[in-house]
Amino acid sequence: MRNTASRVRLAAAVTAVASIAVLAGCSSSGHSDGTSAAASCAPAKGKVTLQYWNTVPGMDKVVALWNQQNPNIQVQMKNISNDQYGTISNALKAGTAPDLAQVGYDELPNLRTQNAFVDASACDAATAAKSKFVPWTWSQTSFGGTGVFAFPQDTGPMALYVRSDIFAKYHLPVPKTWDEYAADAQKMHAADKNLTMTFFDPNNAEWFNGLLWQNSAKMYAYSNDKWQVSVDSAQSKQVADYWQKLIDAKTVRTDLANGSTQMYAAYQKDQIASYVGAAWGYSMFRDNLPSQAGKWSIVPMPTWGTNAASGDWGGSTVAFMKGSTHLYESVKFNSWLNTDPQALALENKLGGLYPAATAGLQLPSLSQGVPYYNNEKIFDVFAESSRNIDTSFAWGPTQKTVNLSLQDAMAKAAAGNGTLTGALSTSQATALKSMKDLAIPAEAGK
Amino acid sequence: MTDTETRAPRVVAAPEPPRRRRRRLGGGGPRAGTIAAFLTPFFLPFVLFYLVPVGYALWQSFRVVRRTGGQYGTSYTTFGGFHQYAQVLQNSEFWSSIGRIGLFGVVQVPVMLFVALVMALLLDTPLLKIKAFFRISAFLPYAVPGVIAAIMWSYLYSPQLSPVVDLLGHLGLHPDFLGPGAVLWSAANVSTWLWTGYNMLIMYSALQAIPQELYEAAKLDGASNWAIAWRIKVPIIAPSIVLTTVFSIIGTLQLYAEPAVLRQISSNISSTFTPNMLAYTVASGNNYQQAAAISVVIALITFVLSFGFMRLTSKRAGL
Amino acid sequence: MSTPTAGRRSASRESLASRTAVMALMLVLMIYFLLPVYFLIVAATKPQGDLAATNGLAFSHFNLFDNLHTLFTRSDGIFLKWALNSVIYAVLGAGVGTLISAMCGYALAKFAFRGREFLFSVVLGGVLVPTTALALPLFLLFSSIGLVNTYWAVFLPSIVSPFGVYLARIFASAAVPEELLESARLDGAGEFRTFFSVASRLMAPSLVTIFLFQFVAIWNNFFLPMVMLQKESLFPVTLGLFEWNGQTARAPLLQESVITGSLVSIVPVIIVFVLLQRFWRTGLAAGSLK
Repeated sequence: MRNTASRVRLAAAVTAVASIAVLAGCSSSGHSDGTSAAASCAPAKGKVTLQYWNTVPGMDKVVALWNQQNPNIQVQMKNISNDQYGTISNALKAGTAPDLAQVGYDELPNLRTQNAFVDASACDAATAAKSKFVPWTWSQTSFGGTGVFAFPQDTGPMALYVRSDIFAKYHLPVPKTWDEYAADAQKMHAADKNLTMTFFDPNNAEWFNGLLWQNSAKMYAYSNDKWQVSVDSAQSKQVADYWQKLIDAKTVRTDLANGSTQMYAAYQKDQIASYVGAAWGYSMFRDNLPSQAGKWSIVPMPTWGTNAASGDWGGSTVAFMKGSTHLYESVKFNSWLNTDPQALALENKLGGLYPAATAGLQLPSLSQGVPYYNNEKIFDVFAESSRNIDTSFAWGPTQKTVNLSLQDAMAKAAAGNGTLTGALSTSQATALKSMKDLAIPAEAGK
Repeated sequence: MTDTETRAPRVVAAPEPPRRRRRRLGGGGPRAGTIAAFLTPFFLPFVLFYLVPVGYALWQSFRVVRRTGGQYGTSYTTFGGFHQYAQVLQNSEFWSSIGRIGLFGVVQVPVMLFVALVMALLLDTPLLKIKAFFRISAFLPYAVPGVIAAIMWSYLYSPQLSPVVDLLGHLGLHPDFLGPGAVLWSAANVSTWLWTGYNMLIMYSALQAIPQELYEAAKLDGASNWAIAWRIKVPIIAPSIVLTTVFSIIGTLQLYAEPAVLRQISSNISSTFTPNMLAYTVASGNNYQQAAAISVVIALITFVLSFGFMRLTSKRAGL
Repeated sequence: MSTPTAGRRSASRESLASRTAVMALMLVLMIYFLLPVYFLIVAATKPQGDLAATNGLAFSHFNLFDNLHTLFTRSDGIFLKWALNSVIYAVLGAGVGTLISAMCGYALAKFAFRGREFLFSVVLGGVLVPTTALALPLFLLFSSIGLVNTYWAVFLPSIVSPFGVYLARIFASAAVPEELLESARLDGAGEFRTFFSVASRLMAPSLVTIFLFQFVAIWNNFFLPMVMLQKESLFPVTLGLFEWNGQTARAPLLQESVITGSLVSIVPVIIVFVLLQRFWRTGLAAGSLK
């Protein structure tokens, strides 16, 4: 008996130790490759199949078109819209990442920090593509350097959607600057207690970041071998203070989530006079508020003083993922996908993408007047906005964590607990701490 | 907790049960191999999916990330002692989530268990008719998954869709169930709705198991139903009440699904509202080591509270 | 409902007042418990447009069949897939789980061996382990062996139920008499035959209880599948509805499907529950005795 028991015990102990050792081995060998040097760009012999993951509605039809025209470079796509970054990050851990994946601009540094990308600059076609894209988008995908880690796909240049009829009713000209915008908000609210200029969605850090971008805020830079973090720069604080004042004066509401049923209901009831939005949003109003056709116009963003700069909200890139063995073919497909007029037209039609390629801005569908908006050429406004976007803006390597922290703090501020400026300070601290936790060298920027 | 886990693997789950011993155990019992064959199907997955993850979490919680090579360098992990724990304990978000859940538990658990107890006692008296209907109705929410319960209630909280808000509006009341002060209690209400009937049934079953003779004498002495309930019945089913309390404490500390659903419609639930939500948020920021430390701390607190409560109550009862 | 023989007059007066009070209290509580379910039933019969436009507690245009059609055809019938997944996870998981818990609990109750009490206390410790705390480390382990995003990732951890072992041990001690085992052994029956043909029959009602407990635990589980699965086709219904609910802000038309889907996924379980009521009560009584 005693003998048996001790044998059982020994066997189990061995099993336990072995399994721990296996675990240890598994997890410490996670990311062992060095910083990605440019990979080789030799074309493959024979037929190649590429994997491409994305979240764009209707992208299967675009891919089908390519497959039909390119029998030797077949693309298999997978829709990962329900957990885009979770799926990508799991695949990276398991070593099963695709050749190409859709990645938002603000997630590029995070994934690069996880060694997710391959530098495609070995391919001449990749470096040559630079001239085909709107400048600020290329600076994002090349991280302001000479590498090529992704091609820009679509963008969200911002503009102001206004209810012309409401502005006319109160004899207010469309505001050109943020100061005018605030003054108009005051007048409208004074005239009608139920009317607010717009709404501030505290759970939308991406939108708020677009506003900071517009004011030439520099949240991240890299120098002295460290990330310089200045989420709470003076420019950012100026934006935060501005919106805090509007919230305090109750001339903007804070109880609506962007794109929610409640938001449309409020617009439907003529309770809100404008919307600070992006290019991809034009169809939201058209489709959800059909009865307001003809009442909406799209004008350039109000400016900070005389600075004509604009901001970007959303948009994505198609990134070259590490582990791809067919870089040449990936570049070829990616380039077609994001610069070919036929592909761009389909993506715009089916997925509502507003292209990052300059060729895309000349698409027939983007050069005509839009009936819902009084046949105005609204895309001219967005194209102008895109040209005015600061090219030196950079995202941080822990952007997701910082965004969550900003949202939590902004929600508190909107509930009367703290201020938006305070939320920026919280985010600054979160940014520094989250980077320190991941051993990313960082310091507060000057 | 650490104690059980480090000790456990030594004895359980021998992959190859020793076959050759023929000697029977105590008075014609089965052979060791047979015993192992009965135990292994449970203990093997128990070790793999309970103990190993706990061990792994512990191991991870003592690691820290290091990095070489510039702006987009390469990361690796190394032993970091109690660094992650220190980080967790210094994290104000962690303490606010614990405080929030503590407040939730201190209010919600007693309220829920009190209602459950009262219902169980009422069902056990002759005062009530159509008992089966009451019992089944109260138990029915237990069949509803937490996520779905939260979705149902979120419609009752939503200012646009809720008939409750409408009704109160007619009475001149305009409650904001999703407001910064109220949302915690709205989540607590979902938990109460889900679990009261279950706890009631545990207590009721225990009451049913009490032999009637125990209070016949009291009845003959003219004791009221009320007196019988509080003086005789409640003390007898005290172990059931302890059990439901312990399970409720464990459940409260694990809270995730209900607030996560309410978060979809209320900006007043942050990404770090409960300790579990914090752990998930930290993990999704790639900081798995710190998420592991948070998980370990949550588990430790759970153990301390549930064991502590059991110790406390068994001492009181003089057991 | 007979009043005690002594003090009949005062007792009946007491009961008249208390009966009314008790009944009123219980009815209020019942409204509380049933209201959300009633609301769900009403809402599931309405067209999307009536959700916000009409009183939530009153029926309007009867649109249930259209709603069901939309629900089951949305995204190529993904909802049916989710429902089937839930059934697979919960029924198979609870089935396997009950079997292994029963064997283990039976052995802990009926076989005398060294370390038995220790093993049992380890199991009891397992009851107190918060399972959500296990999900993240399990995810990391599973992702290193490629199990993430598969049926196994949710199924395997689900079969382990320390609480089931605890119940099985209590039930086996109570329901299986020692003498019966002895006589089976004397007849030369092996331990497995004894267990499967004699003991498991005696334990049958309690095995149903164990099965039900585990079924509900898996059916309700949300955190584990959320952490483990990205592929929509593997989702259980809880996770699927959660995803849809998250999209209703941007796709308001999904709201009606979330409501109808919620109703469809709870009705069968509620029916099974009501039918199997007595097993809950025996199980809960036994579970609370120790």
